[in-house]
Amino acid sequence: MPTSSASNHSSHPEDLIGRLNSAHTPYEVKLKALRDLKNQIIGNRTKKLAFLKLGAVNSVVSILSSAVVAGGWENREFYELVLVQCAAIIGSFACGLEEGVNAVLDAGAFPLLLNLITHINDKVADAGARSLKLIYQSKRAPEYDFLQEKNMEFLLSLLNSKNENVSGLGANIITHSCQTTLEQNTLSEAGVIERLVGLLRGSLIQRDASLESLASMIYGNPEVASKFLSPENGRALSVVVELIKDKQPRTRMLACMCLIYLRNASTSYLQDSEIKNKLVMILLELLDDPGQVGDEAPFVLSSLISQKEDMQKIAYDADVVDKLCENLNIFSFQPTRLQGTFLALADLCSKLECCRDRVIHLKVFKFVTEALAHDNPHVRSAACYFLRNVSRSVKNLSAGQFMNEAVAAPLVQLLFDSNESVQIAALGAISNVVVDFTAHKSLFMQFGGVKQLVQLSKSMESAIRINAVWALKNLAFLVNNKCKEEILLELTISTLSSLISDPEASVQEQALALVRNLVDGTLNSIDYVFGENGLLLHAIGKQLWSTSKVEVLIQGMYTLSNVASGNELHKEAVMDQLFPKTINDKETVLVMFMQSADSRLRTAAVWALVNLTFPSSPGACGRVTKLQNAGIVCQLKNIVNDPCLDVKLRARTALGQLIMFGDAS
Amino acid sequence: MSLFWIFIHHLAEVQTMATSKKLITKQEWEKKLADVKVRKEEMNKLVMNFLVTEGYVEAAEKFRLESGTEPDIDLATITDRMAVKKAVQSGNVVDAIEKVNDLNPEILDTNPQLFFHLQQQRLIELIRDGKVEEALEFAQEELAPRGEENQSFLEELERTVALLAFEDVTNCPVRDLLDISQRLKTASEVNAAILTSQSHEKDPKLPSLLKMLVWAQNQLDEKATYPRINDLSTAALEDPAV
Repeated sequence: MPTSSASNHSSHPEDLIGRLNSAHTPYEVKLKALRDLKNQIIGNRTKKLAFLKLGAVNSVVSILSSAVVAGGWENREFYELVLVQCAAIIGSFACGLEEGVNAVLDAGAFPLLLNLITHINDKVADAGARSLKLIYQSKRAPEYDFLQEKNMEFLLSLLNSKNENVSGLGANIITHSCQTTLEQNTLSEAGVIERLVGLLRGSLIQRDASLESLASMIYGNPEVASKFLSPENGRALSVVVELIKDKQPRTRMLACMCLIYLRNASTSYLQDSEIKNKLVMILLELLDDPGQVGDEAPFVLSSLISQKEDMQKIAYDADVVDKLCENLNIFSFQPTRLQGTFLALADLCSKLECCRDRVIHLKVFKFVTEALAHDNPHVRSAACYFLRNVSRSVKNLSAGQFMNEAVAAPLVQLLFDSNESVQIAALGAISNVVVDFTAHKSLFMQFGGVKQLVQLSKSMESAIRINAVWALKNLAFLVNNKCKEEILLELTISTLSSLISDPEASVQEQALALVRNLVDGTLNSIDYVFGENGLLLHAIGKQLWSTSKVEVLIQGMYTLSNVASGNELHKEAVMDQLFPKTINDKETVLVMFMQSADSRLRTAAVWALVNLTFPSSPGACGRVTKLQNAGIVCQLKNIVNDPCLDVKLRARTALGQLIMFGDAS
Repeated sequence: MSLFWIFIHHLAEVQTMATSKKLITKQEWEKKLADVKVRKEEMNKLVMNFLVTEGYVEAAEKFRLESGTEPDIDLATITDRMAVKKAVQSGNVVDAIEKVNDLNPEILDTNPQLFFHLQQQRLIELIRDGKVEEALEFAQEELAPRGEENQSFLEELERTVALLAFEDVTNCPVRDLLDISQRLKTASEVNAAILTSQSHEKDPKLPSLLKMLVWAQNQLDEKATYPRINDLSTAALEDPAV
């Protein structure tokens, strides 16, 4: 059938797919229909979704597979045209559309495309490589196993290819699948770095692909970083340094990323102030990019400044905070941009008070409120992360900047979020926000925060339990008894005691710290641990005798210390835990704690001694005898000159008190 | 770029020598220029770069044969690129889109702004041809979803659809969209995107070299009086005014 009449066919989606699927349609007409389909979907998300629903991917993949076979027999050139169109369509479905990637993978296109890249016709190889590259941009693409020798050989053959799309694909595969240190080292040993360095001097596609995969190989790996910088790679570093000034914004960004990962991998590279300033200035400019580069730039910025106070200061001085806040306004409809911007702001606010002040001055809180309720879970998490860091500002916290209705209400809502990582991020934010010195804690309770925190403290997911108990602990910090009672009423003593005995040590630690905060303060609050026949006290005592985790022991000892500061009954109850009847009367965990290598545990133990032997209390004498029998005096003498001043001071006080009761030799 | 740095180098020399304005005669200047060595091959590359970027295929082919300078790009792709450019310039946007997709399907898939501008141009052409119903349908089906994805597209779309609201489009506030310059703008955007996808600079190097020359002369004017090039097309050295 001549092509001119084929153009009379309807290009309505259903008809188009019908023609592709029909066994009676001649291949010439199918080729025309394929081109038509391609031109309809490229750049057009709506059309892609519509055709996906009609099963277009399956139709195209089956034409592709039959064309591969048919082309082997006859009319090779014609079938090559079909292959090119099919590959282009498959690639377009996979481009920027997760549903598309899924459909393409489910239809079994992947192995077919892999076969195309070794095709003798360069145009076919090009089309196959392009499609695979687009698939590899998605996280859903299959992981490439570099550890298999055959795979590594194939990868190297890709990287060596003269076809820029094929060698670029090789680099893209590394970017996608290289994650572990073992994979990084294996690639490096196979000589991949040298090849990637070679590609840095190639075409735009090769350069960008190479920069990105170099970054993924260097990330967190000092060994690979130093191999990259070794003389055998010539002036590789200076090539990358040149590329941060490239005309293409994407190249600039990827080159920055490479340098940042290099300097993060080891503190001995790229630490001079010139490169620091340059990186900040270039990323600052890239934040203005309206497209994908601008979406990704805040994440790269975050990797530059995260955990690095000096870099945060440089960024602050370059007005990066202002630029990011401005972008919250301009790009408020772009989720990736919002996520990255909040992450970068969070990093800036992690340490420097000036950044926190600036952010508050620029009134970003209305964006925070919106972001906390955003459709996209990543945006919600990022907003929480930001809130957590900005609320580290004691000054602004005590001024009640954070605990207002606009923040508290959506934040409490996030505790009900269906996404676990959002819940964890929200708990992190709440933990900081509730450490509030004013009366604002009640606001949090009003919104039902306590109830939900308690629910989450019973979660199956340990990360959620830890964070929930952490938040409760901070909520219980320096509050009045009314608040404490409300927390306990909701939580119940039995739940709290099972949290103390949680399988996760970090949960135990936080639960003990929560009890420590609850019993801190008035005599009445000490009574909380005596409810339900001293269930909590027993749980604490049991942990002290069984766990080896020093953090847990510290919190446990401080809790007992707080209890021992109470009345006679309280002190005796602590003694019962330290000298349990089931164990030899003369042995106590205290001796072990006082010999601990951790000065914090030594301090906590000696504090308890000070409180137990306080001279004016009537039962002190009996307790002193018991302690002396257990050899405490000898232990105390060992630490009166402790290198830790805290230990030294408390040990002397305790020893003084013990001596007052007579024979302390 | 080397020519430029040689120039800058001279500039620096002059700067260190002169505290007040220095006079350089034409003779001295020409002597200095004679010392500057520029390789013929590099000059040829610049010319080839210009011909290729601007899309003069035949001239590039002739120049390749005459000078032996290899173009940094497959000449066949220039023909394709020019065909796309020409299609947009003559208002045949559908044809242009098909040609771009044949050339490299990634261009329009990864460049939403360019894709939108081409679709917008298609809408403009429909309106120009008086196909009101088709234009409305096209705006609704093809362009509206893009507007939902991007705020600035929505604004541009609204501006374009406004063309339909005026009886006399030659005298309305958005008439510039119907201008031939709008086609040229879109065409050059497509041209630049294709060049970038071919790892080629969007702009030829020669004009920027001339810009640098003018800038360098302006800098030098503050420090010295020298034979200046005022007419770039002849590049004649003018005698310094004493």
